[in-house]
Amino acid sequence: MPVLKGKELRIVGFLCNWCSYGGADTAGVGRFAQPTDLRIIRVPCSGRIDPLFVVKALLNGADGVLVSGCHPRDCHYAQGNFYARRRLEVLKRFLPVLGIDPARFEYTWVSASEGQRWQKVVTSFTGRIHTLGRAPRHADADLSLARAAAARSHPAADRPRLPGKAQNGAGIEALKERIKAELPGLDCVIGWQQGFDAIHHTPLFMRSPEDVDRLVWGPLNAHNPATYLAAMRERKVGLVVKGCDSRSVVELLQEKLVSRDRVTLFGMPCSGVADLSKVHRALRSSGADPDRVDAVAVEGETLTVTVNGTSHPMAMADVAAEKCLHCRFPNALEADCFVGDPLVPAAIAESPPADLAALDAMSLQERMAFWRSQMERCIRCHACRNACPLCVCKDHCVAQSRDPHWISQEDTVTEKLFFQVVHAVHLAGRCTECGECARACPMDIPLVALKSHMNRAILDLFEYRAGTDPQAVPPLLTFQVEEKRINEGD
Amino acid sequence: MAQEKFLPIQNLQEWLGALSREHRVLVPVEEGGGVVFRPFEAGSRPVLSMDATTSPKSAVFPSSHDLFRFEQTKDPKDPERVSLTLAPDIPRTPTVVFGGRPCGARGVMIFDRVYLGGRFPDPYYQAARENTLFVTLACESPGNTCFCHWVGGGPDDPSGSDVLMTAVEGGYVLQSVSERGTALLDGDGPLLSSDETTTKEAAAARARARASLGPATDLGPAQESLLALFDDRKFWEEVSEKCINCGACTYLCPTCYCFTITDEACGLSGKRVRSWDTCMSFQFTLEASGHNPRPGKANRLKNRVGHKFSYYPARYGGLLACCGCGRCIRKCPASVDIREIVIGAIERAGDNVREASNG
Amino acid sequence: MAKPPFNPYLPEIATIFETVQETHNIKTFRVRLDDADKMAAFAFQPGQVGQLSVFGVGESTFVINSPPTRMDHLQFSVMRAGEVTTKLHGLFAGDKIGVRAPLGNWFPYEDMRGKNILFIGGGIGMAPLRTLLLFMLDNRGDYGDITLLYGARTPDDMAFKAELPGWLSNPAMSAVLTVDREAPGWEHRVGLIPNVLLELNPSPANTVAITCGPPIMIKFTLEALKKLAFSDEQILTTLEKRMKCGVGICGRCNIGSSYVCVDGPVYSYARLKALPNEL
Repeated sequence: MPVLKGKELRIVGFLCNWCSYGGADTAGVGRFAQPTDLRIIRVPCSGRIDPLFVVKALLNGADGVLVSGCHPRDCHYAQGNFYARRRLEVLKRFLPVLGIDPARFEYTWVSASEGQRWQKVVTSFTGRIHTLGRAPRHADADLSLARAAAARSHPAADRPRLPGKAQNGAGIEALKERIKAELPGLDCVIGWQQGFDAIHHTPLFMRSPEDVDRLVWGPLNAHNPATYLAAMRERKVGLVVKGCDSRSVVELLQEKLVSRDRVTLFGMPCSGVADLSKVHRALRSSGADPDRVDAVAVEGETLTVTVNGTSHPMAMADVAAEKCLHCRFPNALEADCFVGDPLVPAAIAESPPADLAALDAMSLQERMAFWRSQMERCIRCHACRNACPLCVCKDHCVAQSRDPHWISQEDTVTEKLFFQVVHAVHLAGRCTECGECARACPMDIPLVALKSHMNRAILDLFEYRAGTDPQAVPPLLTFQVEEKRINEGD
Repeated sequence: MAQEKFLPIQNLQEWLGALSREHRVLVPVEEGGGVVFRPFEAGSRPVLSMDATTSPKSAVFPSSHDLFRFEQTKDPKDPERVSLTLAPDIPRTPTVVFGGRPCGARGVMIFDRVYLGGRFPDPYYQAARENTLFVTLACESPGNTCFCHWVGGGPDDPSGSDVLMTAVEGGYVLQSVSERGTALLDGDGPLLSSDETTTKEAAAARARARASLGPATDLGPAQESLLALFDDRKFWEEVSEKCINCGACTYLCPTCYCFTITDEACGLSGKRVRSWDTCMSFQFTLEASGHNPRPGKANRLKNRVGHKFSYYPARYGGLLACCGCGRCIRKCPASVDIREIVIGAIERAGDNVREASNG
Repeated sequence: MAKPPFNPYLPEIATIFETVQETHNIKTFRVRLDDADKMAAFAFQPGQVGQLSVFGVGESTFVINSPPTRMDHLQFSVMRAGEVTTKLHGLFAGDKIGVRAPLGNWFPYEDMRGKNILFIGGGIGMAPLRTLLLFMLDNRGDYGDITLLYGARTPDDMAFKAELPGWLSNPAMSAVLTVDREAPGWEHRVGLIPNVLLELNPSPANTVAITCGPPIMIKFTLEALKKLAFSDEQILTTLEKRMKCGVGICGRCNIGSSYVCVDGPVYSYARLKALPNEL
């Protein structure tokens, strides 16, 4: 996008054809003087604007992005801008977690007759961008800022707790009997079994009573069986679910991606799973090699990992997955068969999960540096996407498409970060923070933090949590004519 | 002529610093929760106690690079005339990959057969390979996912390396494996010394490492078994059921060498990019007509395992295209275990033969 | 300065000097390499393929459609199917493309000397057959009877329409054309290729059959040839696969241990049967 060097910054505008483009025309006809930086892309309706257009522009050199549409309740297509209003407000609140100053993005409403208003909007937004200056790019972020931010320790906030005393699957035998009873009517039941070594469990597809006998329950059952569900929607399947897994199933039900009569859910109360990255870190700090685990024992709230004959006891609270420390749903929300006494969730910590808290404590520049360093490590394997139970497009993902061509094959921070934003935006209002994306990542990138931040915005704007009510409509698939919590602006 | 030198541990940082004056020296360092190869800097703290998360292959096979740039220029006197120029970019950065393990270096040997041994050697790979030296650390004992000795490797396998390092008391014994390795060791004056006792110690250490391995499972029947099971849909659906079909295994694998070529254009100029690709992806074999010879993850996993244990050995005299490093097992989000699949295939093919002869 | 090593990924730039719209979705391009010396030195065997580049879009594989005995230009016939071919179809005389050729193996024409040759082509499958057909006509004395059976769904779907009357009337060969269903103005045969083949009842004695076309046509044509007692070694075909490097490195076009870009695209049915079932 050519600009007048030294005079203009790169500002992209997405204008709806009917109101805003008309308004810009009116401003032109009326000879209202405006700064010349803005380059306009005309779209039929603000509802056509994918928030990813804005992010792609900001990540690829735009210093500012302005979106303008018809005033709410005055959309040329009746409802388009209602959807736009929700999406763009969510986007505005999402941008800071990437280190992008949300002031560089603005959305507004200008009608076809409001030439003078258009002049004011352009002048004021351009002025704001000039004050902010050239936008920093992730690829140029100062990595030493990331190191400094990582080195900062965080005050122990209200200490999150695991839900209830660990029952550690006392009801497992009863559960197995129930599964065996249901097996004949099902293609399979998905659970967990012992993996290749003592510290790994692995998904188990049960089809016979012998298969069921291999079912295990415990803190190594980290995988979310709902990941497999959407691809199996034509079959009748059973899932053994932890509370968080069941939320993914509920979300799939909300979106009608699976039908309830084809899913049989088995649950037991869950007192948390181990985050293997935390276990590895604990082992390495004691000089033990995580790839040489001989045995694992769970007793009460202690996980004891034996490496080369030496025992390493760890408190579950220290190695539990972050999501478990903030768990609201230790019991399956939907279950056809629930074995055991439901656990009462621990007092819910108001503080965000640790990786998000660390981001909150960073400045925008530090966050940019943080994501640069994380994305430099990313190998574009798409494990995050494929592990996500709600990413149902897998083989036909828009991130790999040539038409539309969102992302190139180049291994750069920009392309990889943009993929993560695509994932987060496509999950807005849908993600249940099961954490599979971060768990699956072979490079230990804290990907779930992006979605956690997105969910904070969704919760604040729409008082909504995904995957808790099978009848609820995800907020970005609908709208209110008057939005309680979105400031429509001047 | 082979060279053997002793590097005292207190000289390690200085030696790496000396190397980095003339080379880009890639060393394994901790980053996030894992270990990756990064260019050595004054503050680098190489992690040598465990194998890196990623393989060292990116030194000779970068995850993405430009094959060439193209530029179209219109003749202002005759706008219909467009001239087109192509500018290939073949970097020749002298590099040392320090601190990988023998399994990782073995991967480079697997690459060499394909990239250098065909009808048209790959000039990009050749330039990188000619300019890259591998200084590899021998292993002391196997992890739960190590199976290098099943596939023809071992804790002190020199294949693919230029210098093999063995840890001994007080430092490392460096043995040259190639002529370039010899030249490297010849050049480093006071930091390295010759010492017969350390030489003996190193040999003993390597022998201990070899002895610490359990028995190797015989994968000899794998090549035929996998072919025999090609049409056994049930087997492949079973073993691939828990696979989530990402590409983590392929991108971390030291021997996976597949790539794709895509064009990126901006106006009249652009580039042709080569980047890593994974046979686990649906798009890998998708044809323009819409037909896909490998439409499901069962087909694709079959190809991945088949390629490593059957198709590549068929072309390269029985050499397995797996180095037994275990990364794919450790890092698979679902813990798909390639050892299990190959052993299962050998057993299943055996069962099928027995059934056929009984039936 | 030493010559840089050959770069198999770098295309030669060529200019299109003529195009022919064969059917609604097949277009033929006649190109010459811009570098006159390279064009003069260009050598290939009938059956070999090339990767054509539309810079900024990508590459696609096509058989070199003209025979090495007629080196005035290189001809490629392209069926519009995806991103690259659609862009190619938008190019005309004067436009530049990239050519990476020759790649792959070729028809073993030396082993076919003295034999009768039976070409069976369907639709765009006529493209590789044309190369060998013209090559053999240019070396007529080396071969026995040359017969062509060419079919398409409708008369409009026949490629090389301008050449068909020549082939029909050429005393050096015999040609039979067929379409799937009756069509107004169509004066030749009507019937699916395998059925017409059985009607023609060619003898397998000292004959090589070369067939190319859509997968379903190949499948039934192979069955028909077996019914006519052709041995596996007497039947040749060419395969298509998604290709990228074209030189056996990128790992993509394999069927089992056979890479279509170096071990093919020409395969005998005998070789094909030995490969795993993954077409």
